[in-house]
Amino acid sequence: MSLLAIDSISKSYDGVLALNRVSLAVRQGTIKGLIGSNGAGKTTLFHLISGMESPTAGQISFAGVDITGKAPHEIAVLGVGRTFQTIQIWGTMTVVENILAGMHTRVPGNLLSCGLWLPWIHKGEKAALKEAKGILEFLGLLGRWKWPAMQLSFGQQKMLELGRALAMRPRLLLLDEPAAGLTPAEVKKLSEKVCELKGQGITIVVVEHHQGMVMEIADEVAVLHNGELIADNTPAAVKRDRRVIEAYLTGGGRGA
Amino acid sequence: MTPWIHIPQLFAAGITMGAIYALVALGFVIIVRASQIINFAQGEFVMLGGVLTFFFITGCGLPYPLAALLAVVSTVCIGLLLHLLVIYPLRKASPLILIMATLGASICLSNTSALLFGTLPKVLPPFSGGLSLQLGGVAIAPQSLWVLGATFSLLFALHRLSHRTLVGKAMEASSTDPLGADLAGISRNLMVFFAFGASAGMGSIAGVLVTPLFYTSYSAGTLLGLKGFIAAVLGGWGKNSGAILGGFVLGIVESVSVAFIPAGYKDGVAFVVLLLILYFRPKGILGSPFIDSRRW
Amino acid sequence: MVTKHQHEFRKRDLFLTGGLWLISLILPNPHLPYRKEFLKKRDFLYLGVLVLLPMVWPDSLFLMGLAGIYAIVALGLSLFLGYAGQISLGHAAFFGIGAYTTAILTTRYGVTSVGAFWAAAAAAALCAYLIGKPILKLKGYFLALATLGFGEIFLVIVREARDLTGGVSGIFGVPLFSVAGFAFDTYLKQYCLIWGTLIGLVLFAKNLVRSKIGRALLAVAASEDAAASVGINVVQVKLGVFVISAAFAGLAGSLFAGVMSTASPDAFGLGLSVLMVMMVIIGGMGTLYGPIFAAIFLTWLTNALAAYQEYSLPIFGVIILLLLIFFPDGVGTRLNARLIYLISYWGRKQRRERVDT
Repeated sequence: MSLLAIDSISKSYDGVLALNRVSLAVRQGTIKGLIGSNGAGKTTLFHLISGMESPTAGQISFAGVDITGKAPHEIAVLGVGRTFQTIQIWGTMTVVENILAGMHTRVPGNLLSCGLWLPWIHKGEKAALKEAKGILEFLGLLGRWKWPAMQLSFGQQKMLELGRALAMRPRLLLLDEPAAGLTPAEVKKLSEKVCELKGQGITIVVVEHHQGMVMEIADEVAVLHNGELIADNTPAAVKRDRRVIEAYLTGGGRGA
Repeated sequence: MTPWIHIPQLFAAGITMGAIYALVALGFVIIVRASQIINFAQGEFVMLGGVLTFFFITGCGLPYPLAALLAVVSTVCIGLLLHLLVIYPLRKASPLILIMATLGASICLSNTSALLFGTLPKVLPPFSGGLSLQLGGVAIAPQSLWVLGATFSLLFALHRLSHRTLVGKAMEASSTDPLGADLAGISRNLMVFFAFGASAGMGSIAGVLVTPLFYTSYSAGTLLGLKGFIAAVLGGWGKNSGAILGGFVLGIVESVSVAFIPAGYKDGVAFVVLLLILYFRPKGILGSPFIDSRRW
Repeated sequence: MVTKHQHEFRKRDLFLTGGLWLISLILPNPHLPYRKEFLKKRDFLYLGVLVLLPMVWPDSLFLMGLAGIYAIVALGLSLFLGYAGQISLGHAAFFGIGAYTTAILTTRYGVTSVGAFWAAAAAAALCAYLIGKPILKLKGYFLALATLGFGEIFLVIVREARDLTGGVSGIFGVPLFSVAGFAFDTYLKQYCLIWGTLIGLVLFAKNLVRSKIGRALLAVAASEDAAASVGINVVQVKLGVFVISAAFAGLAGSLFAGVMSTASPDAFGLGLSVLMVMMVIIGGMGTLYGPIFAAIFLTWLTNALAAYQEYSLPIFGVIILLLLIFFPDGVGTRLNARLIYLISYWGRKQRRERVDT
């Protein structure tokens, strides 16, 4: 049963074709890797799925619901979480606040009731704090829960961004280059966490350049090159695929 | 039926005012192209052009052309000082702080002018006689022709300067690609410095030109600056041609609107135009190199 | 930073250091807004000062009342500007809408002060909702300009619609604020009314900031993309905080009309909008108390400068510029840093003397 179905998506920016009729499916409860040279269109695809951009043509459906062209916050509420290529945590807020803000849609309250601090708001806040601390413990950040987020190390900030995406209890998680800039030990820890998340039933799509990590944890790998899908198979098959080897070794096209 | 009779006359008046708006708008765009800063004190340069000329004529007894020249030079110096004292120290501050700083400078300049030169409106004699020419039923003051002539000469000069001289090219480079220009040895701060001087010059020339037609006083600058900014946005933010087009369009629209709505609302027309353009087409008529169409 | 300085303090140093430390306790600390404690001991100190002030310094009550009115606007604006990170140069218009609504309703239609009070807030909120929907899509300079445009349109309309608003001269003889026959006619009563309202609004704002709304505001300010990715409806959040800040300004305007007994267009121009934004900037973005202190400071400043007649506005402009250049993060932040620096100065002085002898 495919949780995410991308059907012939194209996206062009002022005449530059970033994605050309890409079709993908992600089965529920699996990890899908998405690799390709820089400029191949991986982050663009994420923007299209999460709603930050609208496709020029094609359709995306999530759990049977058509989400093409919907606003990003609507798509997020449906159960799609994501991290960003350039880290976008909220630096001036504390670590725990970052997670709590991620739970925004699940905490009760609107403008008026929050201002008056009605009793159920207080209860909601306490429960939310407890859950947020649980997430931080899962990621190993509990000791720093009151720190301003910008004082964390880079690797910890990446974990925090992951935690913020998890705060929404997503069904689909889009990770955009989560291992970029991490030390090998941190990459290993990240891989373990991602596998644990898969064990909890979350479907994950990972864009990565770190071949080792992707090939190890992914159930399937899709390869994009110059906006086109050139392979979509198990990691072993992709490693042997002639076209993929050509694209990476000869390095033709925009990305190189 | 009756309002339509006035249209040609209003149209002519609108073109004149439009030329002034175009010059003010151009002043904004020069600075924005060099530095992404919006100088809310731009209108004050126009005011200073007129007020200083008046001061030099009546207070110092200088002949008209010399007074005008001196006024323009002084305003350029004031513009350069503004950069050195206010903009340069805040070069790393957030846009909000810069907006507030230029607004503060605007308050300072207009009220200091009131302090030094008095609050009474000042008029200058027109350049070449006060009799209006008649062109097909429309009365045109000769001063309007001066305004238009000077505007187009300035535009031409600006065009030659930016495309033919080294300094001009450096400023163009600095605005198109700041990092690249930096690496090529063009000091960004120096370019911004010159930009402030140039836009102060343009503003003050506009001020000298327009004072014979409409009186000027210490408070005229603020509103004029805002309208010039609106004109720049209207025509296409960040483009010289956009500033000019926007200036004329705004001048004409504002002037013609008087035929249809009570005269007191005239100033509001510019702001309604602003809200409309920001809502429907923030890039402006000619489009803008600065505004990312994707995210708007 | 503060280095560990050892050994003997002379009694004088202890005195001074202790004094400085006490002062730093009193000043509002513009750091992270997430506080578990709702009311700190510092708040009771402020409350005490407010209560004692009429007894200690009764001549200041008029000015403090005015400061309180501006502080209400600054409080609302700090939510929009300081927390949500947006720019508004037209909030004087909402202030004016509140004042004119109250003036018109009480003089023409005999509505009670309290009724007009809430009506003023509703009117300002409604205008903010209508204007906000298209405008808040804009960012940075363009939002500033659009709000400025709105402020100017408001002035033009007020000046022209003479039948409704009394034109350039405004509306006179607005009845003083009164509740069920009890009229707030002395400065003392007005002071209590204004600051009482302010305290209530501060509690409301504190609740907002502590709750998910406050987090959403900071999230939207820091990164709209990230906020949208966790399901925060950015447009709705911006609109909501815009409307709330306008409602605060409307309430303040209503009090203004009820206390000054007039409403005229000169009071609600760009100058006032700039003043209020300055209050938030100088007070510190991301704090609630900072803008209130800045409101008091700036009201006293403008009052003190008024003595200089024509020189007042240029001097005011210069002061604004200097404050912006030297305190771009707000006076509180720098003051704290400077206090720490000063405290550490004694230690360094000790070491220098030790080395010399």
